[in-house]
Amino acid sequence: MNPTLLFQDLIILPFAAAVIIYLVGRISLRKEKDWGFSVARALAVFSLLIEGCLLYFAVKFALQTGGIYLDVGEVSLMLDGIGLVLTAVVLFLGLMVTLFSVDYMAGEKGEEKYYALLLSTIGSIIGLGLAFDLFTLWIWFEAMAISTFLLVAFYNDEPPSLEAGIKYLVQSAVGSALVLLGIALIFSQAGSTSFAVIWQAASMSAPMILIGGILLIVGFGVKTALVPLHTWLPDAHSQAPSGISAMLSGIVIEAGMIAMLRSLSFMGRIEFNWGAVLLVFGCLNILVGNLLALRQTEVKRLLAYSSLVHVGYMLVGFGVGFWYGQANGATGGFFHLITHSLMKGLAFLAAGALLYALHLKNNEHVPLTLSDLNGASRKYPLAAFALSVALLALGGLPPLAGFMSKWQILVAAASAKNTLMIIVIIFVGLNSVLSLGYYAPIVNRLYRRETSAAVENGKPIPVMMIVPLLLLVLAVVVIGLWPAAMDFFTTKATASLLYPFFY
Amino acid sequence: MTMAMIAVMIGGPWLGALVVWAVGDKREKLQHWLAVLFSAVAGAAAIVLIPNATSEAIVKIPVGGAFGDFTFVPDGLGVFLSVIATVIGSLAVVFSTSYMKGEASLGRYYAFVLFFIGAMVGLVLSSNLLLIFFFWEITALCSYALIAFHNDDPKAVRGGVKALIITSIGGVGLLVGALVLFAYTGSFDLNTFLGASGTIPANILSLLAFGFLIAAAAKSAQFPFQTWLPDAMEAPSPISALIHAATMVNAGVYLLARTFPAFQGVPFWREAVMIVGTLSAILAAVMALTANDLKRVLAYSTVSQLGYMVYAIGAGGVFASQFHLFSHSIFKALLFLGAGAVIHSIGTRDMLEMGGVGRKLPLVKWVFIIGSLALAGLPILNGFWSKELILEAGLKGGPAWLYVLMVIVAGLTALYTARCVWLVFFGEPRTEYHVHPAGIGMKVALIPLALAALVSWIAVGPFSALLGERTLPYHEIEQTSLATVIHEILTLPTLIALLVIGLGILLWFTRSKMEGLINGLRSIRWASEKSFGFEALNTAFVEVTNNIAEALRSTQTGILNWNVFAIAASLIILFVILVLGG
Repeated sequence: MNPTLLFQDLIILPFAAAVIIYLVGRISLRKEKDWGFSVARALAVFSLLIEGCLLYFAVKFALQTGGIYLDVGEVSLMLDGIGLVLTAVVLFLGLMVTLFSVDYMAGEKGEEKYYALLLSTIGSIIGLGLAFDLFTLWIWFEAMAISTFLLVAFYNDEPPSLEAGIKYLVQSAVGSALVLLGIALIFSQAGSTSFAVIWQAASMSAPMILIGGILLIVGFGVKTALVPLHTWLPDAHSQAPSGISAMLSGIVIEAGMIAMLRSLSFMGRIEFNWGAVLLVFGCLNILVGNLLALRQTEVKRLLAYSSLVHVGYMLVGFGVGFWYGQANGATGGFFHLITHSLMKGLAFLAAGALLYALHLKNNEHVPLTLSDLNGASRKYPLAAFALSVALLALGGLPPLAGFMSKWQILVAAASAKNTLMIIVIIFVGLNSVLSLGYYAPIVNRLYRRETSAAVENGKPIPVMMIVPLLLLVLAVVVIGLWPAAMDFFTTKATASLLYPFFY
Repeated sequence: MTMAMIAVMIGGPWLGALVVWAVGDKREKLQHWLAVLFSAVAGAAAIVLIPNATSEAIVKIPVGGAFGDFTFVPDGLGVFLSVIATVIGSLAVVFSTSYMKGEASLGRYYAFVLFFIGAMVGLVLSSNLLLIFFFWEITALCSYALIAFHNDDPKAVRGGVKALIITSIGGVGLLVGALVLFAYTGSFDLNTFLGASGTIPANILSLLAFGFLIAAAAKSAQFPFQTWLPDAMEAPSPISALIHAATMVNAGVYLLARTFPAFQGVPFWREAVMIVGTLSAILAAVMALTANDLKRVLAYSTVSQLGYMVYAIGAGGVFASQFHLFSHSIFKALLFLGAGAVIHSIGTRDMLEMGGVGRKLPLVKWVFIIGSLALAGLPILNGFWSKELILEAGLKGGPAWLYVLMVIVAGLTALYTARCVWLVFFGEPRTEYHVHPAGIGMKVALIPLALAALVSWIAVGPFSALLGERTLPYHEIEQTSLATVIHEILTLPTLIALLVIGLGILLWFTRSKMEGLINGLRSIRWASEKSFGFEALNTAFVEVTNNIAEALRSTQTGILNWNVFAIAASLIILFVILVLGG
């Protein structure tokens, strides 16, 4: 098979599909028919499935030949472990979100734009995963920011939604400017944006690359929602359509983190403790995220804050990996990235299903509050069950996926064998318990006998919305019982991340 | 064969949980029967496993990396505790068929009960610390779900969340221990650890020892974590029996007993364990004396009796502690189910509103009295033998002043037990209550437990063989026989202990003449009702956390300028650190 073709297909397909979906939708709208929307939905699902097949063949081919890469002038692309994790996760989650959105978005103004933008978000995240030089990485990062901005502000006649969009846009732009500045500084010293050259240049004492690296941490950190750069996140996650909240929390912020880690991995030879920086941000995220979530009364906002916490767990894992060379740390970080995308995707979709049934279907554009959830299990047993599983998994209770990935991160910390890391473990452990303080009462609310007024007036949840929920529940339970299932992805990604960093 | 039995004991109840849940709440009868069936099958499998106990790993699934091998070892300790979990558990399920009749959400109820039983079996049979922690947290999850079963009652929800949080905080101790152990030995296997504990650096070994002690204390509701257990009383009564006798609280004592050979040499560890046990025993006994809620009295008595077991382990009497665990499971299940029958019949838990219930529920009265006498430690019931064994071990392996305290607690136990039985079953009714007869499922569960409380001590010989050298190579438990035990126990210290117990009972019946002493006790009543300040500590802790969280919300200003300022500020801070550090 021809790698050039494969790369082209992998990257072009989502964007091509996006354009076609948009055109089909517009044309049918012009003719005042609604067949176009069914076609648009079907096309979105179909193109994601094809993309999945392409990825399968690409991985198979890469395993046979020892990797595939493509250089076009200054632009280089490569499918390695990190790209594989990112691509696989975004495709799976994207598929679930698309299935979920079929009913959720039906009849919304601009439905065709929704699917087109969703696909282009997925396409740019895939591109970001495959990019193998700093400038290309940044291009994809921007592409992702633009398509997600339009999705965050999708309900563009709702003021809160617009406000969230503006905040997201401005803060992302500040971050992007810092990234660009960082790239410029690195380029000034290395003379190229190719990772291999940066890696060479970073071996000497390289102040410009060091400063550039810090700019990259802060710049990409805005998208990753590092505390205190996180302030855009609660608004954006809670105001976006629920499927998009799932995407934002499940993969978009992680894509920012991957961009950051990918760049840092080529600066490992600089005398600077990158790992410690990640670790400090990680701990800060965990603590601040937990405390901010503790008193929240809006479900989607609470879940948004919990994203801060989970990014924190991943950063602790990657930090330990960089600092002490503990492979388990990075493996655990990637593992948690995968499990978090499943758990948080599930949580947002389940909350979205309830929001849809309780409010949106009644033409109310109000947030879903905790008290709305009272007794939801009586009318919506499956959605309530899915939300409970997601929340308990996020809280790190076995036999659910979150437990195992946190465990692996903490194993790495312990393997560093020093007092500081034991303190970190205790800190993370106690914070995990603290998070149960806001997850557990929600589950109790769901299983009350007395139902809230919102539940009583609620409309039924369509079957198509439940299907992705059940698939995600299954995934969360199976990984919780069999953590080795994800080894293929996580160990490859770890090798890709740590190999350049330590050699 | 052994492998199949292990699969049936863990997988059976878990499968049952799914099936009962899937059957749906509309087919209530079927749910009752299925729950009984699945738990009984697990119980039968556990009993079959007794003669097949071995110290070898029967199931070994390599998972690799950070997870180790998923190993299951059906050794004496594990098999014994899984018999307790499944057999007492199935009796609680049988009891539930009457107690929970007509309740809503039965599917959820039975699913969690079965999930709980299976997880407890997994916890005691696994030798991989990751798996132990895994099952440990599942039992926490199940206890939370079951305590808060009546989700509409805020007290139940608070009790459930409290149990979850406190036991999980303790769980951090086990987590740290397990991870550090892996870091130093490259394995999560407990038996490997017991065999090679000498090779681990001393400071790491003490970290492990005290980490595990914290975890065990939280799980077994010992000082200073005892506050969750009394609040867990909001659960339906069969759940209380399950938590107090069959599953949950046994896990802590199990962990200490299991790891005792490795930690006995750690400086101050044994002393710490004994002091934790003694403090729990005393504080809880005093609180039991002043409580008026029937289930609360029993809950405090569980904390107190678990204190005995913990104390025994500290004193080196692992066998005595496990033998008492055996007796305690039987009589405490009996007492809770008996109490459940009373509460179900007259609809209140307040003992001051009861009185004279014995005349209406003669069977319940007699089985409850049997259970109480066992709890008080009167011959010839099972509680007598095991408590005396513990006191003997304490005399041999611990300081004398702790022994004296524990003997006094035995007297207190007798006193509060007598008070409880008297207030509930004797005297004249203090309010007008209406009595419903006990259901058939209740009777079926109570009678075998009452019989067992009478005779289970006879099995001390086979019990010691089960825990002996053959299946537990590191514990050095000597095989003994009934005759030896009787001979050992019938000595002077026992007579003194019996005397104190007798005094305790006497004190209740002569209470009208003992003004001075009663007034003395009243003065501590205030402190005891406030649970000696621990409740206030809990509340303060929660409040402080909430206040910090509330205060932190002001950082989310929603003003874009501040948000961008934060980005710039973090960049500057990073540069300053770089300049200062570089």
